Amino acid sequence: MGDLRTAGERPPWEGLDGIDRHAACVVAARDGDRRALDVLVADLTPLVWHVARGHGLDRSTAEDVVQTVWLALLRHLDRLLEPRALAGWLVVATRREAQRTWTPARREAALSDELAEQLESEYGLPEDAALVDDRDHRLWRAFGRLSQRCQELLRLTVLAGRAEYRAVAEALHMPRGSIGPTRGRCLNTLRTHLDAEGGSR
Amino acid sequence: MNDIDPRDDRRGQEDTAVLTELNRLVYQLDAPPAGLVERIQFAVALEDLDVEVARWQRTDSLAGVRGGNPGTITFTVDNLTLMVNFTPSGARHRIDGWLVPAGEHTVEVRVAEHESSTTKADDGGRFVLADVPTGTTQIVVHLVDARGVPGRTVVTPTIML
Repeated sequence: MGDLRTAGERPPWEGLDGIDRHAACVVAARDGDRRALDVLVADLTPLVWHVARGHGLDRSTAEDVVQTVWLALLRHLDRLLEPRALAGWLVVATRREAQRTWTPARREAALSDELAEQLESEYGLPEDAALVDDRDHRLWRAFGRLSQRCQELLRLTVLAGRAEYRAVAEALHMPRGSIGPTRGRCLNTLRTHLDAEGGSR
Repeated sequence: MNDIDPRDDRRGQEDTAVLTELNRLVYQLDAPPAGLVERIQFAVALEDLDVEVARWQRTDSLAGVRGGNPGTITFTVDNLTLMVNFTPSGARHRIDGWLVPAGEHTVEVRVAEHESSTTKADDGGRFVLADVPTGTTQIVVHLVDARGVPGRTVVTPTIML
């Protein structure tokens, strides 16, 4: 057992951040160090979660998808050619898994605006009751009114902007310094919704 | 913390400001459910990592089965189907299961913070575990072929019972 062999040793990922830390964990996990797997799950589950939610899954389905992706990674650990590519692999696997989880019923529902409107309250974003700031309320509501595509794109944009998920930007070919025309349009729509919610300030 | 590509014009600065706020809101309002990380850490703490994942087939796509009596749950992977029925009895459960295609496969039920329960399916693919503790539960099936030779291992995501 890896646990016995490595217990007490200084973990090879100690003191490392972001992609270096995760790559060191992948190498250790392949070697049978179960603590490394626990670190990866703790560090990267929020990423997998937000990708699944950004794909339009309700919270309970997103939870299943997140678990499935991590379980699917187990046998894939040895096949991951580049340990540094883990975050990218997780993003791609999560989007694929989210896609197949969409049932025909849900897909039809998504095509109909009326149904989408009805579904919004149930499957849309969580309640914003926790927000104190009025501006936050308006922005959250404006975000919830964006198309699924825009919501996903903007979620991925903020994920990729986080230092610990820098690998995502690489995996999704999101170079820094460029918002891109589609994201630009999504941001414009967001701003329009925000104005409709009562001004941007 | 968040350094999303600030462009040097006014529009770029506005975009950056909105994205920074959005970043904070998404993390504040749509955080992963409490305990999810721990449930996954339990699910991946397997002896053998060479496993295939069976997916939960939700018959009613709009209603997630969470809490209460989940009744019968169906998991599938490739050509294998695993149907499990949970009957609560006090703080514990009786589990009736059925594997298709049938075979004398070994079925292990893992419950977080408890000993695993193991049984063997009969030649019709049916198995029973009469007394399983309640908690975060995962089913592991070690498949055998017609001659009883061990083959692949299939695991389910955890379910909360």
